[in-house]
Amino acid sequence: MNKKIGFTCAYTPVPLIEAAGFSPYRVFPDTKAPDQAGHLLHDNLCPHVKKVLDRALADDLPELEGMVFINSCDTMRRLADAWKQARPDDKIILIDLPSGTDILSLDFLSKEYERLSTTLFKWNNETSSPEIISGRIKEKISLWNIVADLVKKTEEKMSQDFFPGYASGLQQIINTAATESTDHALAMAQNKLEPEQPAKPGLSPVFVFGNLLFDPKVYDLFEDWNMHVTGTDFCTSSRFVTHVDTGLDDNIFRSLAISYLKQTPCARTMDTAMPGSIAQRIVERAKKSNAKGVIGFTLKFCDPYLARVPMIRQALQKESIPFLMLEGDCTTGSMGQQQTRIEAFTEMLEV
Amino acid sequence: MMYEHFDNAVKGIKEKLNNDPEGINARKKYVLELSRLGRKLYSKDETIAWCGVTAPFDLLSAMGVTSCFVEFVGAMLASTQTAGYFFEEAEDSGFATDSCAYHRAVMGAVLKNAMPKPDFIIGTSSPCTAGLAIVENFAHQYKKDFFVLNVPQNYTKDAIKFLAAQVEEMTLFVSDHTQRPLSMEKLGMALENFNRSSQLLKDIYDLAKTKPSPVDNRLLRDFGVVMPLLMGTKAGVDICQAFKDELNHRIATGWHHVSKEKTRLMWIQNRIQHPFPMDEMLDDLGAKIVVDELNNVTWEPMDPDNPFESIAKRMISIPFSMDTSERIRLMQNLAQDYQIDGAINPCHWGCRQGTGARGLISKGMQDINVPVLNLEIDCVDSRNLSKGQIETRVEAFMEMLS
Ligand code: SF4
Ligand code: SF4
Repeated sequence: MNKKIGFTCAYTPVPLIEAAGFSPYRVFPDTKAPDQAGHLLHDNLCPHVKKVLDRALADDLPELEGMVFINSCDTMRRLADAWKQARPDDKIILIDLPSGTDILSLDFLSKEYERLSTTLFKWNNETSSPEIISGRIKEKISLWNIVADLVKKTEEKMSQDFFPGYASGLQQIINTAATESTDHALAMAQNKLEPEQPAKPGLSPVFVFGNLLFDPKVYDLFEDWNMHVTGTDFCTSSRFVTHVDTGLDDNIFRSLAISYLKQTPCARTMDTAMPGSIAQRIVERAKKSNAKGVIGFTLKFCDPYLARVPMIRQALQKESIPFLMLEGDCTTGSMGQQQTRIEAFTEMLEV
Repeated sequence: MMYEHFDNAVKGIKEKLNNDPEGINARKKYVLELSRLGRKLYSKDETIAWCGVTAPFDLLSAMGVTSCFVEFVGAMLASTQTAGYFFEEAEDSGFATDSCAYHRAVMGAVLKNAMPKPDFIIGTSSPCTAGLAIVENFAHQYKKDFFVLNVPQNYTKDAIKFLAAQVEEMTLFVSDHTQRPLSMEKLGMALENFNRSSQLLKDIYDLAKTKPSPVDNRLLRDFGVVMPLLMGTKAGVDICQAFKDELNHRIATGWHHVSKEKTRLMWIQNRIQHPFPMDEMLDDLGAKIVVDELNNVTWEPMDPDNPFESIAKRMISIPFSMDTSERIRLMQNLAQDYQIDGAINPCHWGCRQGTGARGLISKGMQDINVPVLNLEIDCVDSRNLSKGQIETRVEAFMEMLS
C-alpha cells in the first residue's frame, strides 16, 4: 500500500501525488471529533476548515506522509498555519495559487506545481531524472483523464435525463479519486457508467453549485425531495476531476497549471477581463444542463462564495432563472433542516 | 456631499494650524493631508483608482493617479457614524452579515452611489481574500477595468519575480488608462520620498520605544496602515518629520514622564473605527498603547535601479502577506523592543485573515509571557456592540496586568 498524502483543495493535482508514488487522501470535513478548532484559530471560519482542523487535533486521520496546502483563501492559509501547531511532526508544503488566469499567473503556478512535484519525490526519497518524472506524471495524467472524461460523460447524461441514484453514484466515484486512487475510481466509473435504473421523468431539474457537497447521501436526499440534479459546480464534485490537456505545453507543469487554472475556476479564481464572470458561468452551466432552477449551497463564513452571491443572484434574475440560496455547515444533518425550503423550491419549479 | 465633508475638514484644520503657526501638530497635519486625499478622490477631475490595501501607492502617485484602498472609506464611514445606512443597503443586496464590515460599509456606499467612480481598479490578494472579492464587485458594478496583484505568501525568488513582473505590468495597465507613460524620473522621486519616509518612520518608532513612551493612545493610531497612501509624496515626508518632531519635543519637555503609563500595551491589527471610547478608557486606567502591530517597517529601502523588485519585496514583507508564524515572530520582536506588558487583539468579527489567527497569536505571545486580551468586537459595525461587556473585560485585563 502506498503511503498517503493529505490535501484539502481541488487545485491539488492528484496525478502529481500518484506520480511520486503516494496515494491521495483528501481530508474531508467529515468527523465526529469535538469542536476545538475555534480555540486554535477562531470560530468565524468556515466549517470546512474548522472540521478538517478538528480531525487533525483529534487525530481522526489515517497515517499521512505529508500535507499539501494551497493558499486558495485566507481560511486555508490559516489552516496551514494551525496544522503546524496541531501536528508539528507532519511534513507540509504550501502552494501559492494566483487568483487570475493571465500568462504571469500560469507561469508562476507551473513553477509552484513543479516545486510540489519535486517536494513529493523528495518526501518519497526518490531521485529520478526530470524526463522520468515527467513521464510518470504523464502516465498518471492519462489515467486521471479517463476518469475525468467518464465523469463528464456521466454529468452530460444526468443533464439529459433523470436516472435514480446516478448523482450519488457519481459522487462516490469522485470521492474515490480523492481519497483512494485514480485506479479505484476508474474501476468504479467503468462499472457505474451505465445507469442501474432506467430514466424516470417527473422530478424538477436543478443545477446546484457552491463550495463543498461531498456526501453521496445528500444527492439521494435531493431525489427524495423531488430534485433532479442536472449538474453540479462544487470543489468536491466534477470540478475536482479536472481533465489535464498534456498537449497545451511541452512543459508538463505548465500544462497542469493551464488546465487547473482555466478549467477549475472556483469563486476565488477570476477572469480580470470579466469581473464577476462566475455569475455568467453559473448561468451558462445551468442553462446547458437543462435546469429549471439553481440552488446555491455555501458554507457559513466562506468569503470567496458569499461575496459573489449577489452577482450570481443578479445574473440569474436577469435570465429569469429561479434561485434558492442556502447556507449551512458540512453535515448531512444540516441538510435535513433545508428540506422544507428545497421542496417548496422544486414544487415552485413544476408550476 | 462627501466632497463638502472633506473640503470643510481641510478648511477647518488649515484654520486651526494657521492659528498655531509655532505648534508641531503632527496629527492635525496628518489628518489634513488625508482630508486632502479624500477631497481629491471626490473632486471628479482626478484619475482615480480604487485599490486593495497593499497596492503600491507611491508608484501610482508617480503616475499621476489618485488612489486609495477601499477599506479607508469603510473606516471613515464608521468613524463618522454614517456606516449603518450603508450596511443595510449591502445586506439587503445579499452581502452576508458575517462578512468584514469594512467591506460591507463600502459596498453599501457603492450601491448607493456615494463613492466616486474610479477610472480603474487595482486589487491585491493581500491582506485578504474578502478584500479582493469586494474590489471584483466594484469592478463589476462600475464596469471598469480591473487589475489584480497576486501577492504570494512564500518569500522565494520565484515569488518575488512573479510579483515584480505583475507590478511592472500594472504600470502598463495604468498608462493605457491615463495615456501617460511611467516617468522613471518621477518614480525615482516617489521612491526617494518613500525611503525618506521609511527612515523617519523607523526614527518615530524608535522614539516610541522610550520608557515611558512619548506616544499617547491616539497619536499613532492606524498610522502604519494609512501612511503608505502618502509615503511616495513630499507631503508624506513632511508628515513623518512632524511626528518625529512631536515625539522629540515631548521627550525634550518631559511630557512622557508626566503622562500616565502604568501599563504598556500593544494593539494588534487595526483600531476600533466607530466612536468607541477605548482610548479614554485606557487613559483612565493608566494604560498606554505604545505600539500598534502594523506600526513597523518590515521592508528594505526601495532600490531605484530595481523599483519593481523592491516594491514586490515590500509587499510580501507586510505581516498580512506572510504566514502566521512569521507574523507572530514580528509581534514577538515588537513586544520585546517596546517592553510591553500585554496586548489587545480586537478580533474584528468578519476578518478571517487576522482574527482567524486569534488562537495562534495568543499562544505565540504567551510563549514570551505576554498576555493577550481577545476582545470580540466588530471594529466597524457598532450595531451589536455590548459596550459594558467590553469595558468590564478591559478593566479586568488591566487589573490582571498590574
Ligand atoms: S473557499 Fe470557502 S469553503 Fe473553501 S476553505 Fe475557503 S472559506 Fe472555506
Ligand atoms: S479587517 Fe481583515 S477582512 Fe477586513 S479588510 Fe482588514 S484584513 Fe481584510
